[in-house]
Amino acid sequence: MLLFGSSIFPGYAQVIASNTVHLNKSNRIQLPSENRTGLKLAVEAIKKQFKINIAYKEGILENKSIPTAQVENLVFTDPYEALKQTLNGTALDFSKISESQYIITEITSGNLFADVIKGKITSGTDNLPLIGATVYIKGTKIGSSTDANGMFALTVPENMKGKPLTLTIASVGFTAQERVITDFSAPLNIKLEESSNKLSEVVVTALGIKRDTKSLGYALTEVKGSEFTQARENNLANALTGKVAGVNASGLSTGPGGSSRVIIRGNGSFNGNNQPLYVVNGMPIDNSVPGGSATTNGLGNNVDRGDGISSINPDDIESITVLKGGTAAALYGSRASNGVILITTKKGKMQKGVGIEYNTTFTLEKAINDNDYQYEYGQGLNGVKPMTQADAIATGRLSFGAKIDGSDYVAADGLTHSYSAQKDNIKNFYSTGTNFTNTIAFTGGNEGTTYRLSISDLDSKGIIETTKFKRQTANLNINAKISNKLRVEGLAQYNLERGFNRTLAGDALGNPNWTPYEVANTVDVRWLAPGFDASGNQTPWNDAPIATNGYFVKNKYQENDTKNRFIGQGSITYDVVKNFSLKGVLSRDFYNYNYTFVLPTGDLYIPNGQYSGIKSDVSETNALLTGNYKTRIKDKFGISVLGGVNSRRFENKQLNMDGLTFTIPYFYSYSNLATSTTTPRTERIRTNSIFGSADFDYNNLLFLTYTARNDWFSTLSPEDNSILYQSVGGSFVLSDAVKLPSSIDMLRLRGSWAQVGGGAADPYKINLTYSNVPSSGQPLQNVTLNPATLTNDITNRLLKPYTSTTYEGGMELKMFKGRLGLDLTYYNRKTTNDILNAAISPTSGYNNVILNVGELSNKGVEALFTGTPVSTSAFSWNVSYNVSYNKSEVIKLVEGTNTFQVANSVGNWGYINQTVGSSYGTIVGTRMLRNAQGQIVYDAATKRPVKTGLEELGDGVPPLTMGLSNDFRYKNFNLNLLVDGKFGNKVFSVKEVYATRLGLLKSTLPGRESGLALSGVDQAGNAFNATIPVNELRAYYNDMRNYSELFVHDGSFIKLRQVILSYNIPVNDIKMLKLQSASISFVARNLLTLYKKTDNFDPESSFTNGNAQGFESIGLPRTRTFGLNLMVKF
Amino acid sequence: MRTHQQKYKAIFFLILTAIGAVSCTKDFDKINTNPEASAQIQPSFVFTKSQYDGAKNNLNLLLGTMQYTTSFNDVAGFGSKYISSQSEQSSAVFNAGYYQEINELALVITAVAPNPEQVNMLAAARIWRAYCYSRITDLYGDIPYFQAAKGYTDASYKPTYDAQQAIYADLLKELDEAALSFNTTKPTFAAADLIYSGNIVQWKKFAYSLMLRLGMRMTKVDAGLAETWVKKAIAGGVITADADIAKINYLSAGQDINKNPISLKLYNDDYIKADGTTNTEGGKYQEYFITQLKTNKDPRLGIFSVVYVNKVPDTTAALQKGMPATFGSRPADFVTYSEPNLKTVVAIGAAKIIIGAAETNFLLAEAVLRGWYNGATASVLYENGVRSAFKQWAIISPTDGIISDLQINTYIKYHPLITTGTVEDQKKQIFTEFWKAVFPDAQEAFSSYRRTGYPALVPNNYVGNATNGQIFRRMLYPLSEQNLNKEGLAAAVARQGPDTFLTRIWWDKL
Repeated sequence: MLLFGSSIFPGYAQVIASNTVHLNKSNRIQLPSENRTGLKLAVEAIKKQFKINIAYKEGILENKSIPTAQVENLVFTDPYEALKQTLNGTALDFSKISESQYIITEITSGNLFADVIKGKITSGTDNLPLIGATVYIKGTKIGSSTDANGMFALTVPENMKGKPLTLTIASVGFTAQERVITDFSAPLNIKLEESSNKLSEVVVTALGIKRDTKSLGYALTEVKGSEFTQARENNLANALTGKVAGVNASGLSTGPGGSSRVIIRGNGSFNGNNQPLYVVNGMPIDNSVPGGSATTNGLGNNVDRGDGISSINPDDIESITVLKGGTAAALYGSRASNGVILITTKKGKMQKGVGIEYNTTFTLEKAINDNDYQYEYGQGLNGVKPMTQADAIATGRLSFGAKIDGSDYVAADGLTHSYSAQKDNIKNFYSTGTNFTNTIAFTGGNEGTTYRLSISDLDSKGIIETTKFKRQTANLNINAKISNKLRVEGLAQYNLERGFNRTLAGDALGNPNWTPYEVANTVDVRWLAPGFDASGNQTPWNDAPIATNGYFVKNKYQENDTKNRFIGQGSITYDVVKNFSLKGVLSRDFYNYNYTFVLPTGDLYIPNGQYSGIKSDVSETNALLTGNYKTRIKDKFGISVLGGVNSRRFENKQLNMDGLTFTIPYFYSYSNLATSTTTPRTERIRTNSIFGSADFDYNNLLFLTYTARNDWFSTLSPEDNSILYQSVGGSFVLSDAVKLPSSIDMLRLRGSWAQVGGGAADPYKINLTYSNVPSSGQPLQNVTLNPATLTNDITNRLLKPYTSTTYEGGMELKMFKGRLGLDLTYYNRKTTNDILNAAISPTSGYNNVILNVGELSNKGVEALFTGTPVSTSAFSWNVSYNVSYNKSEVIKLVEGTNTFQVANSVGNWGYINQTVGSSYGTIVGTRMLRNAQGQIVYDAATKRPVKTGLEELGDGVPPLTMGLSNDFRYKNFNLNLLVDGKFGNKVFSVKEVYATRLGLLKSTLPGRESGLALSGVDQAGNAFNATIPVNELRAYYNDMRNYSELFVHDGSFIKLRQVILSYNIPVNDIKMLKLQSASISFVARNLLTLYKKTDNFDPESSFTNGNAQGFESIGLPRTRTFGLNLMVKF
Repeated sequence: MRTHQQKYKAIFFLILTAIGAVSCTKDFDKINTNPEASAQIQPSFVFTKSQYDGAKNNLNLLLGTMQYTTSFNDVAGFGSKYISSQSEQSSAVFNAGYYQEINELALVITAVAPNPEQVNMLAAARIWRAYCYSRITDLYGDIPYFQAAKGYTDASYKPTYDAQQAIYADLLKELDEAALSFNTTKPTFAAADLIYSGNIVQWKKFAYSLMLRLGMRMTKVDAGLAETWVKKAIAGGVITADADIAKINYLSAGQDINKNPISLKLYNDDYIKADGTTNTEGGKYQEYFITQLKTNKDPRLGIFSVVYVNKVPDTTAALQKGMPATFGSRPADFVTYSEPNLKTVVAIGAAKIIIGAAETNFLLAEAVLRGWYNGATASVLYENGVRSAFKQWAIISPTDGIISDLQINTYIKYHPLITTGTVEDQKKQIFTEFWKAVFPDAQEAFSSYRRTGYPALVPNNYVGNATNGQIFRRMLYPLSEQNLNKEGLAAAVARQGPDTFLTRIWWDKL
């Protein structure tokens, strides 16, 4: 029988070895004091002494002995020496496989080396050698394992020579293979494919520490970089949609280069940033949107300028780890209270020559038409179609006209057209968007230095053809081992991002989507092109100049932004002594940003034009020093201790330049404005931290982690700016502790408790200050306004840190040799003393007050099921299903206040509120008053339903999210299907408000022929019956905006999010190209909506990544994307 | 092993230094100090701001309600059409007033009150605050007053709504106290005071003129109290000479805050293209206003009004024509309707009259009719009022607002106060002139209309109106108050009546 030790502890042998440097009498191997010692006994003693595994063929040590004296008087310094001396004179040889693994073999007389099968085992994924892989002769216990270079040598026993042998090759985490060998002398090259269901895997955790998943007391999800590169999203964070349980990721309807909103385990803060901290290679990066997120009711330059994460090129990513819980993130401190997304970038690899990877993706984007409008009555008013151009302009967005009959009428362009339904305005207005990404990467290195350099170009054109986004990225990573003790690593990323004519969102002015969505239903939107006359002035299309002609926006509005971003990182790791290392890292994420927005001369609403500009320099600098110590006590306890300090500096220096009226028409320069102001804004934040963590393990069964961190925040009250918070987590591998049914590969339980403290995200919230107000006359001053919202806010001298506390418990189960897996988590997260920027009655003299009072709870469950229903060499099918449910509850707000307002829609038709006892972010608005019998109560005088006060109309954030991923592999073909869904939220639709007021919705059809009969009760409770005549219908439906409930719909959906069909080109057949691997894929995103409850808009049509979620407001239509991806490696 | 020990020591020291460095918070104060803002208040700068803001906080939709202007556009035409879906426009003054002028004045008063040397600044701030508050309460009735604008000082985030009666009592008390507290030996706001450059004598006149205005407001609800305060105001000395008019001068270029707020708003909203056709929000003068001016051969017609003929403004009286408020879409003859003259009413650099001598003279005329004053006859005061009303356009627009004495005398000659008529007839005459005199301060016209019933406006019964075809009696509280100050609002509604356009405020009781 071939024997192996019970368990393998990495790093174990070194510990023992270092203990034997100064060997004294007591460290000698203790053997029975006989003349001769049994060889087996001696080998077992060595095994025990050095804690190593020694494999040997059963029986070869039997009946062999060595002189006791020969052993007793020798001083063994290491296992190699001990084995060498022990086996001296026997017919046995041994070889070292690794520090902890030796193998004893027989020296066969006469033919010592001829029948040794040699070969190399590598990973099929990245061609790296596999260390410790085993090679057996099938049906026997004879085997060998690979060394550090993946090499193995297997001695074939005498009796098996000359016959074909079958070898079984296996390695943990890889699918075992069998090979039939006839020619023993030919070297073998075996590639093992990674198995999808790993029993044990190493993942990157906080501060870049690699840990075995089984030791973690919290849930964590790792996503491989390759999942982002094929069916790619320009914004990496959008690609997380549906992939990770508990992560609610959504892209915005704002076009290429737009932001994303990622929420992990619910929103933890009322006003603060609720998005996770993004960390690249262990250091935080900035994820802010320059100039702030778009607002829900903004006018003019209300545009999504793109967030920080959108700068990361998916091709540079090795893996993304989502740290969901507090314990996972506790080491990162305050900003990690919403979870952390750790991005590990690709590094160079030791290899011969230069490795080249090339990835190209070309995708097309098509707008989806979500309109379910009425096409029975066309443009016009009071049942009459327009017959003059003036009438056509006056009713340009009114569909209260005559019955559509194909007769002639005059449209806003002054021409006679057929009075027919125009159902293709979405198709006609939007063009096909394109995304073209090319990345080339060079990798290489030797033992001392490895490097990787990638250069990438992204060129996007939006579905509005003047909208463009270009991003060039260069990413360089160098690792060097200067000596055995000293390693350095450097990372430099440079981005040049340029956005052109990003789509305005919010209210009507300058929103190009307004025209195709709200134009009267018998108008072909193309009749309104090009939107300007010979002098360049807007051509009118409707009665409200604020609803800008979409073609004029497309052709004449100007928006340009440029972001030059540099992310640099350097680290030095120094192994002071064995097991103790120090690491220093300095990182800086810096960008300068230039933005200009021009509302051109000739606009109908602001005829002389308007200008906005932002220039900002933003930097996030972190200096980190950590010390790391690892040891084992006896052989059962492992300890690892880490301590560190960090200093974070954030700075934003910004100039806002705004002005009105271009003095020389059509000349768009800041210097050409009749009225202009320049407002400087400087924000500085410092956070200093000290932290430590200790990991204990017992016998590889029980793991405990403790962390503590103390932060000092510059943004808080000097008297109360520091907070110490701790976390503790544990994991217990039940399957290793007790015998479970053989079908269970692994079962472990985990639990943790963690606290994270945080400071105010914005500076200057402590003291009220006064700012001069631009004046051309006497100097003016007022309270300094909040630069983000331009409101005056009451500062708080006593502002102290808030706390976020998470409990979580979970289990992980793997069954049937990894074919079935289940991961369950329950969490309970509570934020207390949240720093609330609460809207207050303006009669207080202020718009907001900053308080430390909020309390918010998020409880939820997350489950991940993985399975491999089919797994054969030719065909395999892997399924992964994740689902999470998060229940949020507002527990406490300002004393004496039960509700506060987060946002309001255009026209105040709907609000997003935080209300005690309700979920986070509730949609609030009015309803039609009904009596106990459910009859509508009318105001007899106005013939309108009486509107109620503000009532809760639904949750703005979906509590239930899920994703189902199916991977099919047939030979060289792979098919990936990702379906995801969100459920249980509501959306308030501004588009529907307008479409109702303008007579586009089917709900406005009643009464078109002979008036609308109303029936209900009046305010006195008497029966009320009235008829709204046809010529008052427009006014009646126009007033429907007073009843928010009509426009609130269930936002649940299921979408076929992603389809990837790829073919691995068999590169061995085209050897001349010297390809290592190549694949070509058909990729598609957002192909189909399988389920939704909204008739007129996409439930995901959000246009801000701020906290106000739950409004749709005529953003860009969602798009279907499909294209091709080609990937080759040389 | 010595080297190891040294190494450990060095590392230990390094770590200690690093820990020391991060736990050091001594420069946090500096880091958290906004370099673009001042920690110190400059009361005079804030006072100037409050004057601009108080003068700017106008409910311009009332220009439509008072039938000066209108628009075929439903949104812009709300004031003249009372369309229910636009009701929220009426909350604008409430929304803007508190966190601007009212809070600014609270800051100024807090800063200057402790120092007896600054008594004149305190007095001016109190008078100006009374003016600003009166503008808000006259629109909404009960409003937060005693606890308002104390968010920072008293953590009062949901001020209670006070009864208008109590607010009026306090406003009058404030005016009385402040007027008496001036001290000619102490410094003033000087140039920072946009209205009087610190002239104490004029400030007192302003205080008493406002007292006269507010006193007269109470004639319907409590004639006795009105009489007391009107007499007190007259005794104190009100503005009667044009030189004492309370006004703010503006610039025609530069920052928007330095420009005449009503003119700027009208200009930007509608008349910027100056061609009579491409009026952004479809605005024009309303039929009733132009008809009144035209039929009375009022010389102000040519100053107020133009019609564009081939894109050229023409003030010819015969051409002038107001637009009916009943239009729902752009009429084909849109260009032929009169609109405000860019040289006067829409002159960005024009002065804005806060309280003019015309108003006080008309109010004094009423006081004579009521028997509360006998310093002059009603007809003289009426004449003085008309004269001031004409003369003030030369103050507003020194180049284009000049009306000759001959024109004025002619007008007065043909429009004397008919003292043989009933008191009611005389009031009708006085307050119809008042309506023309305070233009474009539609807010004051609206208050005067509600109190006196003049001019005799015919309401517009437009489709979908919120008032059942009646003229507003008050404006609506912001919907956001339901959210932010629910209890306070509920108490006000319980006391005053439903939050509708037809509920009458305290002094407007039938």
